[in-house]
Amino acid sequence: MKKYSKVTPEGTKDLLFEECLINRMVEQKLSRVFVSRGFHEVVTPAMEFMDVFDPETSGIAPEIMYKMSDRRGRLVVMRPDSTMPIARLAATRLQNEEKPLRLYYTQRIYRNNPNLTGRSDEVLQSGVELLGASGKRADLEAIATAVEALSHCTPDFRLELGHAGFFRAIAAQLPISPEQREDIRSTIEAKNYAALNTLLDGLEQTRSVAAMRRLPRLFGGEEVFAEAAPLCGSEEAASMLEYLHSLYRSLVQLDLGDRLMVDLGLVQRNDYYTGVVFSAYAQDCGDAILLGGRYDNLLSRFDLPMPAIGFSVNVDAVVKLLAEQGYAPDCPKPDVLVFGPEGCEMKALLFASGVAAQGGSCETSVFETEEETIAYARRGGISRVAVVDDTVREIRLEDETGKGEAR
Amino acid sequence: MKPLRIALTKGRLEKDTVALFEKIGYDCDAVHNKGRRLILPVGDRLEVVLAKAADVITYVEHGVCDMGVVGKDTIMEHGSSFYEVLDLGFGRCRFALAAPKGADFWSGYSSRTIATKYPATARAFFESRGMDVSIIKIEGSVELAPLLGLSDAIVDIVETGTTLKENGLEVVEEICPISARLIVNVASLKLRKQEIETLVSQMEQETRKREGTTR
Repeated sequence: MKKYSKVTPEGTKDLLFEECLINRMVEQKLSRVFVSRGFHEVVTPAMEFMDVFDPETSGIAPEIMYKMSDRRGRLVVMRPDSTMPIARLAATRLQNEEKPLRLYYTQRIYRNNPNLTGRSDEVLQSGVELLGASGKRADLEAIATAVEALSHCTPDFRLELGHAGFFRAIAAQLPISPEQREDIRSTIEAKNYAALNTLLDGLEQTRSVAAMRRLPRLFGGEEVFAEAAPLCGSEEAASMLEYLHSLYRSLVQLDLGDRLMVDLGLVQRNDYYTGVVFSAYAQDCGDAILLGGRYDNLLSRFDLPMPAIGFSVNVDAVVKLLAEQGYAPDCPKPDVLVFGPEGCEMKALLFASGVAAQGGSCETSVFETEEETIAYARRGGISRVAVVDDTVREIRLEDETGKGEAR
Repeated sequence: MKPLRIALTKGRLEKDTVALFEKIGYDCDAVHNKGRRLILPVGDRLEVVLAKAADVITYVEHGVCDMGVVGKDTIMEHGSSFYEVLDLGFGRCRFALAAPKGADFWSGYSSRTIATKYPATARAFFESRGMDVSIIKIEGSVELAPLLGLSDAIVDIVETGTTLKENGLEVVEEICPISARLIVNVASLKLRKQEIETLVSQMEQETRKREGTTR
């Protein structure tokens, strides 16, 4: 039988040294922003019952989940998303807590992507969920937090706003079946103008049909609102557009300039999001680096209806971006290598602890002799060796004569 | 600003696209005299990459190319996440199910074997019919499979139907029409809206002129 003991499963990888440093740095920058804005960390299990991710509510197809069964034969999945588990947690363990709940997380999600497409099956995400709050203040809080979080990692990004209800309001004016509605939604999501036209040509040409036809093209700067206004065939659509515009006008004060954009054709996972949706893009990154939105219906699935909004940052994408921009942290070398001759092993260890306690970094030599220790330090680029017996003798290795000096 | 990078499917779609660019007014000399180069400048705001059909999709999905020209057949077989913004109208043909002449493909209840270069498309088609079939992937001339007795029918691209006829096959059912599409990376469309929209509308105008239709 062929053994796969020396490779990792497709879509996964080991992270080494510098990669870990950038990863941690991005993680810390994001968490620092979240904590400073009053969010509290939660961690959910990497495995959840599959029922948590009901495809109808989550918009996550069952075939992309990694599935297993527990001891009693129940289906368990590697979490494909963090929002659903956090909604579960909020609706159960936190149901009696003061609202709103301000939660943040940094954890990996798992998705079974098609082979050989170069996509990772394991993605580190960091994000916030603001549960039990609706209205403009909550929306602004979530979006402003997203902007601040990204600004700390990679200032050159674009933020895009949309409204999930806008498509629904226009679709409600059309005489179409739920299947047709889904077909129309997916062509708008793909900005497939040709297929959308074919779908709409069969309908009576009303104002709402014209609006639907324009929807995938309604993206850009503030001019989009003026362009979209005459297309609103209902009070509902008009009020959503007005709301989105008021969010836009408020967010202009974050000084994003033309990096703040609007796309009324943002209709991803449309049964999941209910209100404002937003995403962020960066140059040289083919996918969105941040996704978020309002999901007011989700919590009712866990029997505790409440409004909620959240977003997640794709930490791996941000890390990749920083690495491509040439950000390469040095892996720190220890300041000193400590060696204890026979009988003084514990003295050496205690000395090393002392160095560490004072904020220095040191490595304790596990070699048998001083010569081997020095050779190892030379190979590894460690500049000082401390030999600890009754006294501490320090050897500086730039000093090629190698003469020790007692201290 | 970096030039917009557009991946073209090598061969006929490449020639048709270049002809379209030239009508719009782009200088395509570098593409005509490409030698062995694979990345070629077209004008000073555009860069053409030549690739195999499925790779065009891969490059666009990952964002290393901003746009691509690729057949709908390849999109159906490999596509997932990008914007499909324009039907370019050339490279027209169709996906069809074909079987030996005279054979009644739909009759009986025994399960069918289908040979194809496009397993995902074939599977989706039979799934939509609620039919279980076994699908065999063939890399070369698919018409050979029913002749050799490997399969009951084939799912393939049909242009004129001459090859089918010469091999004693006929179209049982047309699955869908195919033509070349202009696809755009999701982030690129957002980040470089102006440039991309200008090019798309130029290409759209030229395409409509050629088809002699206006909406």
